[in-house]
Amino acid sequence: MDGVKAALVLFFVALLQLAVLTEYSAFRTASIVLVALLSLALLRGSVFGAVAGFGIGLLLDVATLGTLGVSSLLLTAGGFWIGRYGETTARDRFHAPFLSVAVVTGLFAFGQLALQFLLGEPAPAGLVAHSLPLGLLLNLLLTLPVYALIRRMFPPLELGDRVREVRLLG
Amino acid sequence: MPRNRTVRLAVLGSSVQRTAASGYPSSRSSALKRRIIVGLLVLLSLVLITVSFRSSALDSAQGTAAGILRPFEVAADRVARPFRDAAGWTQGLISAKSENKKLRRQIEDLSQKVIQDESAVEENVQLKAQLHYNGPPSVAAFGRVGAAILVHPQSPIDQSVVIAAGSGDGLAAGDVVVDPSTRGLVGTVERVFAGVARVTLLTDAQSAVTATDLTYPPAVGVITRGGGGSDVLVLDLVSRSAFVGVGDTVITAGSLGKEALPSMFPRGIAVGTVSSSSNTDVNAFKNIQVKPLVDFSSLQSVIVLVPKA
Repeated sequence: MDGVKAALVLFFVALLQLAVLTEYSAFRTASIVLVALLSLALLRGSVFGAVAGFGIGLLLDVATLGTLGVSSLLLTAGGFWIGRYGETTARDRFHAPFLSVAVVTGLFAFGQLALQFLLGEPAPAGLVAHSLPLGLLLNLLLTLPVYALIRRMFPPLELGDRVREVRLLG
Repeated sequence: MPRNRTVRLAVLGSSVQRTAASGYPSSRSSALKRRIIVGLLVLLSLVLITVSFRSSALDSAQGTAAGILRPFEVAADRVARPFRDAAGWTQGLISAKSENKKLRRQIEDLSQKVIQDESAVEENVQLKAQLHYNGPPSVAAFGRVGAAILVHPQSPIDQSVVIAAGSGDGLAAGDVVVDPSTRGLVGTVERVFAGVARVTLLTDAQSAVTATDLTYPPAVGVITRGGGGSDVLVLDLVSRSAFVGVGDTVITAGSLGKEALPSMFPRGIAVGTVSSSSNTDVNAFKNIQVKPLVDFSSLQSVIVLVPKA
């Protein structure tokens, strides 16, 4: 059930980014899809984050008629990594979503640049570095409402839901 | 009685975090499963990149999927339009008074120029007919296909848009795209699918178009993207001796299109105005910066120039 709900949420967020937000040039440096994905990964774990990242990346690549798999690869890695962070040390920490978004925004931008370079396409590093501060700021501003909304829709799992079994020794 | 018993942790009321550090078989299998899933997804992504980049095998599937997404994108755009219009209306109201004055002055200047231009065009047509001149095609030699922009550039390094017209509307890769309001050059069609197409903007690092100064036609060069994060273009490969002044209009020089460059490029599409022009000792060509006529950040629709059969 969570999977279907997450798919619908991410589809809606992707449409919002593709057709509405990126019409304004400032939002071309930010990514509400990335923020929503990382929020989901923090709340639902690494496998959920990786699968959601792959799916939403594929959707973005299809919609922009770009090279398939580029966004999928980056968002799978981002979703998985932040999911692991959520599973291990980040639970119930206020700064976790902000830290995750800040780190992944930078890595995503330069990861995209590196892939462009490897594919032999123009990779203007200066342009990315120039636009990164604004993108980072906007993503951090988006984090508070987006994470709050997603946390409301996907409440953190109780410890009992997360752990399927324990073995008692002795 | 077995020593290992399985119970729900919630019963214990513990808040201990369970991590992958445990060495129990169940944790190990869970970690293994997680790694297999992520590994498969990464592998699938790499396969997709390879196939998509090296061949057109996935093009039809991508085109179909993009076609399925199209109604959703149009719907999202329509929902957002009233808000966008309201914001635009408010912004326009603030600047209307000063803009009104400026536009009135421009109308006066342009009315004079239109009269001169019309007589020049007439004379040009007559002279070409007398000389049996064969040159690059003019814009009149092309059909026009209007299309809304479905997807705007998604990142600073992405200088392309997706438009709502495709091969079904007669579009082909290499077709020239102009702005309907300013008639300025927007870019060229890069990839075409049944109902959608991807347009590479003039501001993309891979875009290049032969252009000339309208006031001094011998100054022919190549328009490419300028450095930095702005939309400024550069007119490169123009001889140092050429007379190119600030404020001159730069237009496409046109190409007939054959063999290695099969697409025809009409002459006379406005690209922008010269914002700076200088010579340096270290450069064999003039340093010319061009301010594009088109505001690439606020494009809503485009016209694709399709060669008439």
